[in-house]
Amino acid sequence: MIQVENLSFSYTGSPPYVLNNVTFRIEDGTYVSVVGENGCGKSTLIRLILKFLKPTGGAIVSDAKRIGYVPQNNDFSNSSFPITVFEALNSYRRLLKLKSKDVIAQVLENVGMSGRENVLVGSLSGGQYQKILIARALMGRPDLLILDEPSTGVDRNSQQEIYGILKRNNTKDGVTIISVEHNLDAAIANSTLIYHLRDGRGHLCTPQHYIDEFLHLGGKEHA
Amino acid sequence: MLNYAFMQNALVVSVFISILCPCIGIFLVLRRYSMIGDTLSHASLAGVTIGLMTHQNPILGAFVFTSICGALIEFLRNYFKKYTDLILTIVLSLSVGVAITMISSGKLNANADSFMFGSILTVTEFDMIMVFILSVISVLALIFLYDQMIYIAYDEEAAQTAGVKVRLINYVFFVLVASAISVSIRIVGVLVLSSMIALPVATALQLGKGFKITLVCSILFSIIDIMLGLFISYYLNVAPGGFTALVSVAVLLLVLLAKKLGTNLKMWRSDQK
Repeated sequence: MIQVENLSFSYTGSPPYVLNNVTFRIEDGTYVSVVGENGCGKSTLIRLILKFLKPTGGAIVSDAKRIGYVPQNNDFSNSSFPITVFEALNSYRRLLKLKSKDVIAQVLENVGMSGRENVLVGSLSGGQYQKILIARALMGRPDLLILDEPSTGVDRNSQQEIYGILKRNNTKDGVTIISVEHNLDAAIANSTLIYHLRDGRGHLCTPQHYIDEFLHLGGKEHA
Repeated sequence: MLNYAFMQNALVVSVFISILCPCIGIFLVLRRYSMIGDTLSHASLAGVTIGLMTHQNPILGAFVFTSICGALIEFLRNYFKKYTDLILTIVLSLSVGVAITMISSGKLNANADSFMFGSILTVTEFDMIMVFILSVISVLALIFLYDQMIYIAYDEEAAQTAGVKVRLINYVFFVLVASAISVSIRIVGVLVLSSMIALPVATALQLGKGFKITLVCSILFSIIDIMLGLFISYYLNVAPGGFTALVSVAVLLLVLLAKKLGTNLKMWRSDQK
């Protein structure tokens, strides 16, 4: 469960607020997509949940014991980093203090990337790299998985595979998912609930309710 | 040549340098912090002058002052988040300012020139003990913090999510950088010290391998650079620091050339098929 209470945030500590008095609750096992226009505070919201940022006001209460995080896959500065898939996952395994190396093979199988252990991460395609980021996030068997635009820089086929992986981990293993989405089709097709952010405020709704809102706005809303 | 005690001392210290510098350098280079090495090597000159003025060991002086400057860089990152180069200019100004003021005061108990250009004649036994202690502590710290350091360099947010105390380790890292620099200034000299930190890593990166192999190759290239630099500079009677920097650049160019030839050969072979 994640309870967000009267959450406000400003990068300067004073108005204007990126998030203004936001309140919502996410139950365990829910798949929530956070949507809204560019700059509306979607990424800020998940960075607050991840505790990368401190709220200006309000609070976030979470009973998630293990959180997995998949960052936005548009930071190409890492593409030249000399590290193999195995090294990246193995170092992360040790950071999480997981004793068995078997977990690496398990998470790679989970995302359909078995046999890629010795490949340099910089030589992977956008979709493959995203799967490795998801594999890493799944390594500690998280009860909460947070993703920032998982389909950015990923071709259509890989997008389908990635959402299939997320959906499977959500429905089969009960992993709660919060995903910032610019891909509205994916948000509507995969989410249990959609959190619609607009002008620093937001509300939770069903995908169908979101479609109705979207049509009401004349299709002007875009993530 | 190896019959001379000063040469034996220089050789031992060189081995420590060639292991320690690339171990630190790989993280500096991969975090796009190469110029921090340069800034802190100038800070070490200020530390040397403080050591010489206060009748303390200059290497110890360099270690303490360079550590303080390293911590200052990390501290100033809070205030100049998007201007890392400006932070380096501030710390460089402070360091060079202190060094020039001290040297020009005429109150130093010894000549600081050998620390600027590097010298194999001036390595004392006490220096060797200092170098040994700093090297062993640094290498052990690196082994202990290996995964944390990789992840801070590779993906700082993922490191944070895994519970790594990024800020604390950043401060420890700058102490390690200070240690590597202090160990190296006797032989390599302040002016070209950053080359020992960055160039063997730059050469190893050309091989396009994983982290561990890149690190091992960085150490190997570093040993080649320093040993060739040390021996040739002895026969040419020039400062070892400057010549080691030249060897480092030459080795890098050779590896780049070999890589280019290898690529062309592969293309030619595939054309033949």
